Amino acid sequence: MLLETGYRPGPAAALRESLHRIRAMAGNNTLIRLRDPGQTISYVVMPMVLMLVLEPLYVRAVDGGTTKVVTGLLVMFSVFAISIAGNAILAERTWKTWDRLRVSRAPAAELLIGKTLPIYVVMIAQQTILLIYGCLVIGLPIPGNVPLVLGAILLWAFTLLAIGALLAAIVRSHGELSVITDVGALTLSSLGGALVPLSLMPEWAQVAAQASPGYWALELLQAAVAGDTAGVLKPAAILLGIALVCGAFAIRRLTRGWGRGGLL
Amino acid sequence: MLQAIDLVKRYGPVLALDGFSLSVAAGEIVGLVGHNGAGKTTFVEIVSYLVRQDGGHVTIDGRPPSASRGRVGVAPQHIALYPSVTVREHLNLFGKLAGLRRAALDSAVEELTVALRLGAFIDRRTAALSGGQQRRVQAATALINRPGLLLLDEPTAGADLETREAMLDVVKQRAGEGAAIVYTTHYLPELVELQATIAVARSGRIIARGTYDELVDGLPGEVRLIHDNEEEVRVSTTQPAATLIDLLGRAERPISTIEVHNPSLDDLYRSLAVSDAP
Repeated sequence: MLLETGYRPGPAAALRESLHRIRAMAGNNTLIRLRDPGQTISYVVMPMVLMLVLEPLYVRAVDGGTTKVVTGLLVMFSVFAISIAGNAILAERTWKTWDRLRVSRAPAAELLIGKTLPIYVVMIAQQTILLIYGCLVIGLPIPGNVPLVLGAILLWAFTLLAIGALLAAIVRSHGELSVITDVGALTLSSLGGALVPLSLMPEWAQVAAQASPGYWALELLQAAVAGDTAGVLKPAAILLGIALVCGAFAIRRLTRGWGRGGLL
Repeated sequence: MLQAIDLVKRYGPVLALDGFSLSVAAGEIVGLVGHNGAGKTTFVEIVSYLVRQDGGHVTIDGRPPSASRGRVGVAPQHIALYPSVTVREHLNLFGKLAGLRRAALDSAVEELTVALRLGAFIDRRTAALSGGQQRRVQAATALINRPGLLLLDEPTAGADLETREAMLDVVKQRAGEGAAIVYTTHYLPELVELQATIAVARSGRIIARGTYDELVDGLPGEVRLIHDNEEEVRVSTTQPAATLIDLLGRAERPISTIEVHNPSLDDLYRSLAVSDAP
């Protein structure tokens, strides 16, 4: 007998079914991440090594050097992690699996949530690990307002995820994505003051820095670590705006699929 | 079950579908044949709601494709599997996305494992499988929730004998249970074995539809005689038996070999392909 029926679930049952499908998608993508962890590991280990090496330099060069080296390298390598999000989404096109999912009973919103949830968790874990490492090994003062720091991490990870999804939706190949994420991440995060403190950079760079999401991420995280709730608001609003614009565009593109025209 | 009427689809300057109409009843297998570019895959994509048509309309059980998500099982022409995910994990994923849970899911996985002979590699990652094994896994993911409409786009392309046998058995079984099936292929004998209604697509429309016998009726076969001096006579004819008798009656030398080829679907397919070539 065919299982198909005219059954229509009520709201509660529909929600349960929706969560069931999202869990299935998220579980599958967690498996995929766990079986190919190399990129994630390198984006956690590399900043740890650099923090250790650069911390004495920062401490001598600027006030609050410890905070700046930890948050700066955290932001720089979290920007690199955009490529994790981008590659994970773009791989669905390489493997031609996205269209198979779109044919299923799961609406596009469920597929996207299930797809991006594990990546979001990875990004949050990366930043959290680096902050804890900063406190335990580098000497970053333990933040007084932990929920504020957690909120900052959640927002910054969400922004990165949205940017990664946008890039995956518009690039034509993994090669293109790699160029954009590597060069773009290095440029934007450096310009934002993630590698060299802004106060040591040329005047034009200090002005241009405000165009970089990395700059606002640094402002956000440094204010959050310092427990400065008022200082968090402006960068948080700007990053949220960037995330919503990028996310909306990516959702629109991914809901329609890539079609036959995309090159790989 | 499936009704497609006057579908039109353009990709830029290319007219992929040009008045494509096809209906498939519950329990019916329609073998969709045609050369590359005839519009078969575009049709499958429109019915799957992956692509929107520019004209015409499609209904599945009276509803548009947008309202039929999950009611259509699709095995696309290309392999579309996660390389680092095992066969069992694939079946669980697609089963859960189709709404199956615990016992029903386990039972569906078990049944397809047996039917499509997946047991030997059920816990292996798909990247490690042969092309034929991947084809069977892909078909299994399309069949997992027993959809009422199955779109199988060249499910045996490049597959070995075991894969073909398993696939054809399952397709026949599902049609027997009442599923409507669209089966695109270049391997015409499969359609004969499936006892499928055959629809021939050319240049974005269906140009012929019928049973095997109806479609080959009127096509020329061939009679071939070789005389003892190796002189060969070949005659293309719509009446091979009568032609053979005539040739034997007029033969002036002893004959060493007689061959009679009745018209086949391959002849039909070839004649369409040749007449459509640029």
